[in-house]
Amino acid sequence: MRAIVGFGNELRGEDAFGVDVVNLLQKLSLKDTKLITLFQLTPELCMDLLDADEVVFIDAAFCEDNQYALACSIQNQTSLTLSHHISINTIKEMLNILYNHYPKIEVFSMLTCSFDEIKNRDLYECRLNEIVKFISTKNSIYK
Amino acid sequence: MKKIIIDPVTRIEGHAKITIDLNDQGKVDDARIHVTQYRGFEKICEGRPYSEMPALTARICGICPVSHAISSVDACDNILAVRPPKAARSIRRVINLAQIIQSHALNFYHLSSPDFIYGFDAKPEDRNIFKLMQTHPDMAKDGIKLRAFGQKIIERLGGKRIHPTKIIPGGVSQKLEPEVRDQILKEIPEAMDIAKRALKYYTDNLHKFKREIDSFGNFPSLFMGLVDKKGNLTHYDGQLRIVDAEGNILEDAIEPRFYKDYIGEAVEDDSYLKSPYYKPLGYPNGMYRVGPLARLNIINACGTPEADAEFERFKNINNGKPVLNSFYYHYARLIEIIYGIERIEKILKNPKTSEDTVRSYAEVNRNRGVGCSEAPRGTLFHDYGVNDDGIITDVNLIIATGNNNMAMNAGVKQVAQEFIDGNNITDGALNRVEAVIRCFDPCLSCSTHSQGLYSSTIEIRDHNKEIIKIISRA
Repeated sequence: MRAIVGFGNELRGEDAFGVDVVNLLQKLSLKDTKLITLFQLTPELCMDLLDADEVVFIDAAFCEDNQYALACSIQNQTSLTLSHHISINTIKEMLNILYNHYPKIEVFSMLTCSFDEIKNRDLYECRLNEIVKFISTKNSIYK
Repeated sequence: MKKIIIDPVTRIEGHAKITIDLNDQGKVDDARIHVTQYRGFEKICEGRPYSEMPALTARICGICPVSHAISSVDACDNILAVRPPKAARSIRRVINLAQIIQSHALNFYHLSSPDFIYGFDAKPEDRNIFKLMQTHPDMAKDGIKLRAFGQKIIERLGGKRIHPTKIIPGGVSQKLEPEVRDQILKEIPEAMDIAKRALKYYTDNLHKFKREIDSFGNFPSLFMGLVDKKGNLTHYDGQLRIVDAEGNILEDAIEPRFYKDYIGEAVEDDSYLKSPYYKPLGYPNGMYRVGPLARLNIINACGTPEADAEFERFKNINNGKPVLNSFYYHYARLIEIIYGIERIEKILKNPKTSEDTVRSYAEVNRNRGVGCSEAPRGTLFHDYGVNDDGIITDVNLIIATGNNNMAMNAGVKQVAQEFIDGNNITDGALNRVEAVIRCFDPCLSCSTHSQGLYSSTIEIRDHNKEIIKIISRA
């Protein structure tokens, strides 16, 4: 089973990217796929991912250069901080260490520095559609 | 004189720094916490319809949205001059308790337990959740499960885990469905087992922290919180009580809408966090504490069996008088988790909670409304002025963390004086300075309605207030 987690704040411009992607995916009735939208990542998300063989995180990432580019590596997700919300890497570590669960994890981050508004709606929607098409046309991103 | 600055303060919610002033002998002369973010939510809300306030003010924070929504709808009920139906009040109460359970769980398991397990002098790389996952995986899993228990209740009854949508002026937008009630009830035994394990771990290990107990914000102060009509613990729909350090009740059965008669708000130049105080004693003498420790210090009883059994042991710490050591905030938090689980069960089993009528309807009947609830961190006030069309004209928010501002500063100073030696500043000493703040579990995002990086800094200053060292704690 594949879990797709789109997270971000829908009121903060392009930060909503991950949520918007998942909202579009919800209309497609993807097989064997669990869709999750979140405002932010919190520890209990682990419990929703225990039955997932693959987990895809989709979000917006702050970057002043290469805006609207898609970055796709968990290697860039270096933060292991823990406050009342946590990072993708922390979720991964929790799954691995606490639950002995090692799903394949992929991250799709749209680079942006616009958290007040959607600055370029054409490019934004173009990236949305690219991700949606990529995910929906493959049964699994690893097959 | 030299000054130490801790920036950022770690394992708290929000951005803060600490300054520690040293005298010529290298001893601590003063220490303060500074909250360095500002967003000005009170002004943002002006001009909006009152009906938007629960959703708007919930956005003050992604951590405490439930608390803000509860206080906000309480203020809106005042504006409408309605009392929501019993079932609606019960559903709101359950959601609020679920918020308290999940927030307390995160503080205990993920933010504070590394200090309890590895000690305050452990290597910084060991004082975190990742070490905890390796050495105490069952405890880390307990924390996740207990948080999930609370968050799922919020989602089931409030619509969303963060920024719930079903808490509205006049009541709630959806009745309690039997299958939802049964599912929550089914999860209660496991949640209670987890809470009891945490409490046992904490009380079994308390003896290791005598010096911290004695010096982590251990001083006389007033305590404030809501109580129900019997003077028992409540987090919603209560009246204010204020007691002194000896346990004398200074004020009782105060309707929250009269809060301004009792609470003043001072502003300091070096922090965006306001400093509320008890007006009759003035500023700064009117320092009071709120939150779990304060709540247990002001009540007659919890009102649920398991929590009351532990509450009796808690009261014995100071022979029935208020417990003054802020280190026991952790203890109080664990008792409140147990209370919350018991109370949720009791409310859900009451058939009236499942009644169909969950909303009262009215137009604007008053030009001012004050809402008040107990957030995880303490008493939370929302005060709105509206014109006859229901448009917000002014807003005043007193946030739980803000109520504790003076006490947190006093605690930081006490710990710094106990543990900091300007000639040999150890990481363990700096960690203790941060840890006293974690006792209060502040949410600085809420208290200043702030945004930005979540972390914090320690600055060391000499007698001329010049910074001689900055220690980053990101």
